[in-house]
Amino acid sequence: MNDGFLETGATRSTDLVLLLEIAMGVGLLIGAVFARKRRFRLHAWCQSIIVVLNLAVVVLVMVPSFHVNVLPKIPVKLGKAYYALAAAHAALGSVAEIGALYILLAAGTKILPPKFRLTEYKVWMRSILVLWWIGLLLGLATYGRWYVHR
Amino acid sequence: MRKCLQRTGFVARAMIAGTLLVAVSSGVNAQQPSNAEIKIDNFIFGPATLTVAAGTTVTWINRDDIPHKVASTDEVFKSKALDTDDKFSYTFSKAGTYPYFCSLHPKMTGKVVVQ
Repeated sequence: MNDGFLETGATRSTDLVLLLEIAMGVGLLIGAVFARKRRFRLHAWCQSIIVVLNLAVVVLVMVPSFHVNVLPKIPVKLGKAYYALAAAHAALGSVAEIGALYILLAAGTKILPPKFRLTEYKVWMRSILVLWWIGLLLGLATYGRWYVHR
Repeated sequence: MRKCLQRTGFVARAMIAGTLLVAVSSGVNAQQPSNAEIKIDNFIFGPATLTVAAGTTVTWINRDDIPHKVASTDEVFKSKALDTDDKFSYTFSKAGTYPYFCSLHPKMTGKVVVQ
């Protein structure tokens, strides 16, 4: 009956998304190391694949779940930790994903007009990486609050 | 002798009337709607198996500190997300076994047996 495999109360898809998100977070750090080693092509591929894969996970799994389970309860029940955590994770995660997509478009394509292109790539990339990881940690906390027995 | 027969007839009528009264009143009791309760606490439905008569309204109460969703395995009933102290009720009109689970935490399962 769609039982998860991590011995918590979660569904299989939730467990899968959790592992995938942790892997993507680690993958972004590895991608950052590629940049430090001046292997920019590898860095670009690594970060691009992760950002696009995360977009798919967000659109296909997280948004529908948030829409059904959390959105109807906010802002009224934001005082409850499990909704507050989920809302904070969604807000920060969205900013990080949109920021990452913007960097992909600005750095990897010529779609954006020159005035919208970035100049300080390093600052933006590092900021988004930090935001991404804070969002990931909030996601882990959300998982723990919703699915782990106390 | 005649008095004795009259007394016997009276007793018999009283017994029949009494029996009918009991039958009628028990019939009324059987038709009265009844209620039962299942508590949700610490990722467990309690009792895990509840046996009720047809027509009983079963109410699930979430005493846990996280949301839960009650959903029939056969899609007979389904609640919205129940926060702490929220309730969900369903009236079982037909006899049968109704397995259910929490759609947020599918390892949580229970069963309502309607007789």
